[in-house]
Amino acid sequence: MRTIIHDLQEQEFAGWLGDTAQEEVTVISDSGAIRSCMGCFGCWTRTPGTCVIKRDGYDNLGELFSRSDELMIISKCMYGSYSPFVLNVLNRSLSYMLPYFVTTHGETHHRPRYKHQFKLSVHFYGSDLTEGEQHTARMLVAANGLNLYSSENNVYFHTSPQHIKEALQ
Amino acid sequence: MNIALINGSPKPNGSNSGILLSMLEPLIADGNELHPYTPNKRPLTPEEYSELCRMDVLVLAFPLYYDGIPSHLFQLLVTLEGYLKTEREREIYVYALINNGFYEGQQNHIAVEILKNWCARAGVHFGQAIGQGAGEMLGSLDKVPLGRGPLKNLGRAMYSLAESIQSRSAGESLLFSPNFPRFAWKFYSTRSFWHRTARENGLKPKDLRRRM
Ligand SMILES: Cc1cc2nc3c(=O)[nH]c(=O)nc-3n(C[C@H](O)[C@H](O)[C@H](O)COP(=O)(O)O)c2cc1C
Repeated sequence: MRTIIHDLQEQEFAGWLGDTAQEEVTVISDSGAIRSCMGCFGCWTRTPGTCVIKRDGYDNLGELFSRSDELMIISKCMYGSYSPFVLNVLNRSLSYMLPYFVTTHGETHHRPRYKHQFKLSVHFYGSDLTEGEQHTARMLVAANGLNLYSSENNVYFHTSPQHIKEALQ
Repeated sequence: MNIALINGSPKPNGSNSGILLSMLEPLIADGNELHPYTPNKRPLTPEEYSELCRMDVLVLAFPLYYDGIPSHLFQLLVTLEGYLKTEREREIYVYALINNGFYEGQQNHIAVEILKNWCARAGVHFGQAIGQGAGEMLGSLDKVPLGRGPLKNLGRAMYSLAESIQSRSAGESLLFSPNFPRFAWKFYSTRSFWHRTARENGLKPKDLRRRM
């Protein structure tokens, strides 16, 4: 299953999945209802595996990731980061990991909750991205991939969402 | 100077970012007006965004989230960029006081780059960032004087940051771990933090591993 997190308007994204109808896809987009992570660690110590913020529809992201073969992110690139909505979704998915630590290559990371790996593909868009911003974005995706135990990471830069659509079809 | 102290943790209370800001405050209080902002309690108002454009210095204290900036603070920065572009009349210096959950403060380096990129877009100067690893230890070290024991590296970095702020100059970013062995930190956080919290919530340690 492929999970797509995107920050586009509903109308803008409509029709993107035309050719991939056969494939199972879950789309996470901005319903306007998403609340921010409160940093409470409840997804580890109160309701392990799910976020404690219920009813906005973004509480089961960890479980969703555990069923995804590919996590595709479509985001405006801002200062070398994802846009606020995409960041919000990622922040709310912390339950995908366990609180426990493991040290690899001299760096601490979390232990995985699931015996699972997905491919991480990130499509950034932006018409005037600097080299510095692209460099930062690549480092960010690599670091995220390491923490999420992705099987591989791919980062692409496009000048507009329309170009992503063309590239994907 | 007018200095804004922005708590960028999403925790409404008891944040490590708040602890770090309270350590910095006495070091920069002399001759300056300190203005605390708490977007962790409620979003900033348009008036507050305009006020920030009239500051000499912005200090952003925040936790590392997914190797970057937490989403609510990031949204604040996006909004503030808009305000700065139309309302800023003076030179503004930005300093960062970051802390992260993992032991190695070095892991804050990407967040520092993101903030530098933001400064370039927003037309403000990047001053200096400091980044403390194992940030969740800070709450239990309230009896330890800054610059001593596990807070030795933090003390050095905090004084350097205060000096840069006082002189509104740029300094080298300092990212560091606590002066406390990593294995002990790991052991302590598992037993005294995760397992204790689980038990307080009526769960057994093995419940924490639940798969959905
Ligand atoms: C959603 C989320 C994501 C996090 N991501 C990271 C991370 O990528 N690296 C890290 O070292 N710590 C990470 N942390 C841990 C926080 O940085 C750490 O708990 C910090 O001490 C919190 O500071 P505060 O009390 O000021 O909010 C994360 C915490 C949360 C809740």
